[in-house]
Amino acid sequence: MSAELHVMMPTTPSVEPDDRQLVQTIREGDADAFELLVRRKTSKVYALCYRIIGNGEDAKDIAQLVFIKLWENLEKYDASYAFDTWLYRMVTNVAIDFMRNRQSRENAVNSNLRLVKTAADAEQTVVVQRKEVEHVFNDISDVLSPKQKTIFVMNQMDDLPSAEIAKILGCRESTVRNHLFNARKLMQQQLQKRYPEYAQLWRER
Amino acid sequence: MISCEAFRTRFHASTEDPSLLDHLRACDRCLDFAVDVDPDVLFRSLGGAELVPPGGVDAFVSDVMRQVRVRDAETAAAARHRVISWPRRLAIAATIAAGLTGTLLTYRANAPTVAPQPIARIAHASAPVAAKALVTKPVVETYDSQNATIVEVPGESSDDVKVVMIFDENLPADL
Repeated sequence: MSAELHVMMPTTPSVEPDDRQLVQTIREGDADAFELLVRRKTSKVYALCYRIIGNGEDAKDIAQLVFIKLWENLEKYDASYAFDTWLYRMVTNVAIDFMRNRQSRENAVNSNLRLVKTAADAEQTVVVQRKEVEHVFNDISDVLSPKQKTIFVMNQMDDLPSAEIAKILGCRESTVRNHLFNARKLMQQQLQKRYPEYAQLWRER
Repeated sequence: MISCEAFRTRFHASTEDPSLLDHLRACDRCLDFAVDVDPDVLFRSLGGAELVPPGGVDAFVSDVMRQVRVRDAETAAAARHRVISWPRRLAIAATIAAGLTGTLLTYRANAPTVAPQPIARIAHASAPVAAKALVTKPVVETYDSQNATIVEVPGESSDDVKVVMIFDENLPADL
């Protein structure tokens, strides 16, 4: 049985084309190659959209829009740059645009609806739980500008260094570091105000 | 993935060690410990995971490919429309231009030719026409009214037609 299986196995392992090769194949008119590229990048693109936008359905729509833009602009990709950098630039542009539009729509409405915890709650000891952290992040990160949030997410959650983020956003590294510094400060202020039990973590150090 | 024991031994503030970050993002038991050591990793713990869109990756990819095909079809249709319409537009423009030129030429050919006359003669010839036109109007020789204002326009010579204006609210409309 095992001998039969051995015979059925391919003798040479199939090597998956890298992103650049895939793009080249797509440019030559192979739509299946594009499907493969979408499948390969879906989780990363969706995760970044979700972290920036904070809502699953919106993040899905934005991620789909990113791939459609990718298809329409593939001719503009310069293969001397890393494909992921180019793709991330597209994701951040679309997500930041979406965030700006949404902020201008919802700012006035939602500012009065957010849950503000009282200082009395700070006395309780906090056991950090992942689901709760996610909820806290989605709740307080609205105070960040779309660009600050994008940079914060890419640095803190995607572990991208400032230099790489600067390349993606087409700005200086010092600008990225400034945004990061301000974002952290704003997030801590919001924790202090709305989730004092978490802010306590910093005070106790 | 490294063990919880190894994580707790090696973890320190501002770590960038990928294996430690991987563990931080995967292990609930060590999250509280890590945040206690370095609160800055509070939100860092959220990242790393490749998330699956609602409905799953297959449905997502199908949706994208369907939209791509629709866009392609739209683009192709628009391109076809452009290819057909440009010659049509050119033909319509040429027809209009030819029509206008033909009309202009025909009009010029059929228009009565007026021999050029000296300006002085034309001015002289028009004077009787004007006088004749005035003669056809009713002429008021006398007008008696308490409320009327009568203004006589002074002429430059005795040949000029005398113009008198009567302003009266009771003046008959057909006068």
